[in-house]
Amino acid sequence: MSAPTVAAPAGERRARRRARAERGRGASILVAAISSGFGTILIAATGFIAAWLLAAPYLAGRETVIAVAAILSALLVGVAMFVAAIVTTNTFATIVAGRTRQIALLRLIGASARSERVRVAREGLVVGVIGAAIGLVGGTAAAALLLPVARMAWGIDVDYSLLQPVLAAPALIVVVTTWAAAWAGSRRVLEVTPLQAISGAAERSAREAVGGRARRITAGMLFFGGSSVLAAGIVLGLVSPLGVVVAFAGGLLSFTGLSLGATVIMPPLLRATGRLFGRSAPARLAAENALRYPERSSRMAIGVVMGVTLVTMFAVASQSARQVIIGSAGGEPPEELLSLMDTFAAIMMSLVAVAAVIAAVGLVNLLTLGVIQRRRELGLLRTLGFAIPQIRRMVLIEAAHLTVTSVALGLVLGVVYGWAGAQSLLGSVGVPPEFSSPTFVLPSIPWATVGIVAVATALLTAVAAVAPTRLATAVSPIDALAGD
Amino acid sequence: MQQTPSDTPAMAARVQNLTKTFGVGESRVHALDDVSIGIRRGEFTAIMGPSGSGKSTLMHVMAGLDAATSGRAWIGDTEITGLSDLDLTVLRRSRVGFVFQSFNLVPTLDVWGNITLPFELAGRAPSALARRRIDALVESMGLGPRLRHRPHELSGGQQQRVAIARALATQPDLVFADEPTGNLDSRTGRDVLGLLSAASREHGQSIAMVTHDPVAASHADRVVFLGDGRIVADTPRRSAEAISAFMLSSEVGA
Repeated sequence: MSAPTVAAPAGERRARRRARAERGRGASILVAAISSGFGTILIAATGFIAAWLLAAPYLAGRETVIAVAAILSALLVGVAMFVAAIVTTNTFATIVAGRTRQIALLRLIGASARSERVRVAREGLVVGVIGAAIGLVGGTAAAALLLPVARMAWGIDVDYSLLQPVLAAPALIVVVTTWAAAWAGSRRVLEVTPLQAISGAAERSAREAVGGRARRITAGMLFFGGSSVLAAGIVLGLVSPLGVVVAFAGGLLSFTGLSLGATVIMPPLLRATGRLFGRSAPARLAAENALRYPERSSRMAIGVVMGVTLVTMFAVASQSARQVIIGSAGGEPPEELLSLMDTFAAIMMSLVAVAAVIAAVGLVNLLTLGVIQRRRELGLLRTLGFAIPQIRRMVLIEAAHLTVTSVALGLVLGVVYGWAGAQSLLGSVGVPPEFSSPTFVLPSIPWATVGIVAVATALLTAVAAVAPTRLATAVSPIDALAGD
Repeated sequence: MQQTPSDTPAMAARVQNLTKTFGVGESRVHALDDVSIGIRRGEFTAIMGPSGSGKSTLMHVMAGLDAATSGRAWIGDTEITGLSDLDLTVLRRSRVGFVFQSFNLVPTLDVWGNITLPFELAGRAPSALARRRIDALVESMGLGPRLRHRPHELSGGQQQRVAIARALATQPDLVFADEPTGNLDSRTGRDVLGLLSAASREHGQSIAMVTHDPVAASHADRVVFLGDGRIVADTPRRSAEAISAFMLSSEVGA
């Protein structure tokens, strides 16, 4: 149908488009690099602090401090790697979706579904190795630069050699998790039939299944079980500060349940957000697009939720604790303790923000790949009379759907978890005038943090929409007519 | 937008001295070479020609989807040469309908959403009159029980009927159909052609259909042949046999 005279430019265009679609892997390399680099830096920092503490023989309970620092580092790196794995799973799921025809063609000429899947997963391995290597080198270099600064700033004189085998641990874990994530994301290769290569069928936008039954049950059990443990921790906290340990375990379990059940929780929330944007054609199409692949959108949203929840949690916990401490001191706050707490909260917040950054990378990537794969449909909309500003609005609203929903949920969860942490830790602290416990800790909302998160959301939305908008508005109406 | 004198009231769309070239220098190719043609109002016109004859390019330019290298084009009385992208977009939305070979429905919208999409894009609900027209279209296409289905739940023939209903819903000046039967089996294809010619015969809808299938073209009131970017024949309705014979004899056949 297309004239041979125009075949050359069309071919070039297609090749370029394919190259762009494959670009999605860049995001996986980036998140692998960030998480392994982050891990390397944290290990170096923890080792440095441990060496410093061990060199100071007079400090009581230093083993506990070192153990806590090590556990915190492991948790922080774990969260970052988990979010990175989500991003990679999504990226590969999207890449596979865009490659359906090519995979079908290979199946048609005799490739087995399994060998095709292994091939995709191998790409994940390559991506993981490249990203982890960049992260390892970058992280080590950053640590090498930062440690002397820390030595000078705090006048620490300690013998600590940076280059230790353990530094490579995050990189190795990232390689394995990226590989596994690519394997998980390539599941749909198995569903591609050879027939799809020859049938001229239009895109089948069958809604993805919402996870298995077993997974939903596990998620539910984790969430409700974890919430009960969290509640028990709060109750225990009324008599002992050790309640925070129980509450911590409960929080971890319940949040894992939430993450597993993302595909159940997120779509209704996304739909509710959709109502905020009105009923215009761009808004309605954006709402449908945000839910076109509920599994991918939910996974991605939960990554952002995780980052925002953690940041908010530390802010709320420290703010709430601050008020109890001020109260219990009878209005004469122990400045040193407060400033120590603020510093700790600030450090933790900036460290968990890394997970939020990784999630943001994934979000941008998801939207961009989505637009690239919808090229034909965008061309159709242009043909039927969608003006460029309407296309732009549609993409922006689609991005806003994901960011607004996940940030709102993250803020709510962060306030709940942060309050639970403060309550379970400080519920047994007596407060004047009677110095009676139990004390009820009022959840204190740090509006500055909420404000920063809101601004960051708006920024993220804008940034997430930039690349897809540019791609989407460059689609010409004729793209809808060109066969592929 | 420039209004032309009303000396061509009977044209739904026309082009004058249209030339379209691709590439530069050695590889420069004329897709259209000084083509002038009008699509008469109320007529079902088939545009035929082998691959590379320029028929798709002609359609793209006539429908305001692509700009010509030189020459002028009108839709109704509105000259579209040199219109801005936004003006062209609004013009397509309200005055041109499209039917594609691969149906091209929006997969996230149901049948009703797809049919009313051109109204949605304009930011208005269909008027009472338009609603009645859409209801009648839905009825005549047998889509009534399918209104809440999504495209992937429909057969090819049903999808193409939705696309036709969408194209006719706004009562455009002109409907462009690009190989509308290319992805359908012959019986379903015949149904679709019947729907198009009925729209033209019974409702005076102007239709321009690009095809290389003589059977499809035999449903049209007028058959225009393109070859190497020029119009090589322009004839009234013919049988599929006559069209095939002409294509073979003139060596412009597919």
